[in-house]
Amino acid sequence: MNKEEALAELQNIFDDIFLDEVTVTPELSANDVEEWDSLLHISLVVSVEERFKIKFRVGEVEATNNVGEFIDIILDRVNAAYV
Amino acid sequence: MNQNGSGKIVRKNDDLKSLLRDRDEHFWQLLADRSADAQSFTEIIALASLRKKAEKLGVKNETVLHDHPLRIALIGGSTLYPFSELIEHLTFTAVGPVEVKSGDFNNYRAEITEETSFLYDLKPDVVIIIPDAQNCRYTGGLTDPKDEIESAASSVCDEILQLAALIRENLKAEVIISNFILPPFTDPGPLRTRSASSDWNFKKTVNLMLGTRAPNYLHICDLEFLSYRHGGLNSIDENAWFESKQLCSPSLMAFAAHEIAHLIRGLRETPKKVVVLDLDNTLWGGVIGDDGMTGIEIGDTSPRGEAFKAFQQFIKTLISRGILLGVCSKNDFENAVEPFRRHPEMVLKETDFVSFKANWEPKAQNLIEMADELNLGLDSFVFIDDNPAEIEIVKQFAPDVTTILLGPDPALYVRQLKESRLFERFALTEEDAERTEQYRKEKQRKSLLETAVDMDSYLSSLEMTGSFKRFDELDLPRIAQLINKSNQFNLTTRRRTQAEIEQLMRDPNYVGFTMRLSDKFGDHGLISIVILRSTGTSNMEIDTWLMSCRVLKRQVEEEVVNEFVRIARLKNVRTIKGIFKPTAKNSMVKDLYPAMGFTPVKIDENRSEFELETERFQNKESFITIDRRTKLNEQGRSFSRTAEYI
Repeated sequence: MNKEEALAELQNIFDDIFLDEVTVTPELSANDVEEWDSLLHISLVVSVEERFKIKFRVGEVEATNNVGEFIDIILDRVNAAYV
Repeated sequence: MNQNGSGKIVRKNDDLKSLLRDRDEHFWQLLADRSADAQSFTEIIALASLRKKAEKLGVKNETVLHDHPLRIALIGGSTLYPFSELIEHLTFTAVGPVEVKSGDFNNYRAEITEETSFLYDLKPDVVIIIPDAQNCRYTGGLTDPKDEIESAASSVCDEILQLAALIRENLKAEVIISNFILPPFTDPGPLRTRSASSDWNFKKTVNLMLGTRAPNYLHICDLEFLSYRHGGLNSIDENAWFESKQLCSPSLMAFAAHEIAHLIRGLRETPKKVVVLDLDNTLWGGVIGDDGMTGIEIGDTSPRGEAFKAFQQFIKTLISRGILLGVCSKNDFENAVEPFRRHPEMVLKETDFVSFKANWEPKAQNLIEMADELNLGLDSFVFIDDNPAEIEIVKQFAPDVTTILLGPDPALYVRQLKESRLFERFALTEEDAERTEQYRKEKQRKSLLETAVDMDSYLSSLEMTGSFKRFDELDLPRIAQLINKSNQFNLTTRRRTQAEIEQLMRDPNYVGFTMRLSDKFGDHGLISIVILRSTGTSNMEIDTWLMSCRVLKRQVEEEVVNEFVRIARLKNVRTIKGIFKPTAKNSMVKDLYPAMGFTPVKIDENRSEFELETERFQNKESFITIDRRTKLNEQGRSFSRTAEYI
């Protein structure tokens, strides 16, 4: 899986969860979206784990600053599964 | 994602989204159906988001009947979001508009006891408590005395029950509590099961106490069971605990939310009262009109017959849950009713049914008439059939009836019913309580058996009933099967084909009879076979005597001896000869004849003979009540081929 594919799938997940339309870009962060609070964040992370069939490590997601960094972890996990 | 016929990629919920765009009110029904089927966290969250969008857009919803939304409070010892989100959505789609408010993380004790809390402001209809699992642990040592551990478990349980009682008293709300997920780890090894203080055993004890002590107003969301069903390791999520103090894995959370929605729905919905059954390939295998009494598959002769019998046994248990049974079958009445009246392997009898419709009218029509006769609404009916066309007709013309289309494998019929969730009971009644009292006494009797090995009171408590019957056509397959299969409790191990048995049934020199046994735990079916042969005017030989080993030590042997002595006397026989032919497998019966009071006359490696004088014989005592004896139609002369029926 590459960055574009991950970004596209992430867009689908955002569309499923957020009520407002959000365009997912690598630069996007929680501060840019009003709905994206700490609670919704939990649902988002769970959805990402279920849809990509991966598990984040404890504290890992918290340390990311934007969607781009988030995708880096996703890709790391997804691609590691196929090594 | 699926590829549809045109090769275009179709995403799940595209249909819902398109109804939403058109603001079509059919959106709600499809949303409800999709939500009932949604198994994963992600699916439910996505559907919840669609629901909120539809509410925002004001899509008309006529399925809503309740005037005020159901108010639900969720409190507990874990973070309540996103659990609250799942519960809200699934309760909405199962019941109607809801308003869910959650308490703070692990603040439920204060929220319940302090009248300034949000709970008292909300005046909830339902309060859900997720007790703190961190608190449900034994803190002492692995080798502490059992009493101490039990009293610790008891106080965990009682604290929860007291909080529930407070809610009931102050808020008059229905209360749902969850119990505790058992830890799925192998640690601490063998002590996990041996020590009452292990986390595994301690939580199990608390769960058991909660369930058995809970008053009627309290409903339990059984997380122990749900996680067992889902798989222990899939049910927990350490990461989610450290990250945001979540109760469990997202996948178990989805199941738990479904369960809570189901419980809330059950508080409001009237339960099903009538189960109406098709006959052919539903209660037995085959078609009675074509295959006839000897051709249908029912009973212990074949695996399929056994499966249908097990299905009938389960249906029978529904009667004790207060459910009425009916038949709705496309058949001639006389054909349809015959197995119920005459087939010995049928568990269900004609009298078990409050209505028996076997005719050629459309089934929907029959169901409507039945509801009318019984003065019950069609919405309390469940119709069960193996034929999709019949199910479809009922769905179309009697849409209030709940239908169950049986799958292709009768082995799974019972499972289909057990998984339908239609026959669940939410609380125990007074009658149940009485019955429980009886069981309690019974248990005392059993513990007596364990301590004093009081075989008599054990046998007496089984409430056994036996019945004897001449060989007949209907039993023939089972007779042939046992004659050719039984190895252990078999005195002569004489094999015979079905044709040979039929021959013998017509021969005046033979009397063949069977014995059935049932006790309070159920029916053991046909368990013993005897063939007697006249060997002169006052002599008789036990040609065949065999018994199924599952009823060993139940005094069946004694009653069989009583029975063949009774027959011998009726035929003026003075001496009964018993033969034992040893095989590699039947040593268990080598001393049976002496034990039954026969005198050895010839002991040999290959064949031993014993004799019993009928004049001196005294009836053997047993705890089996015999409700039917072998009938000798024309005593001492020939034996009619006509089968005898009850």
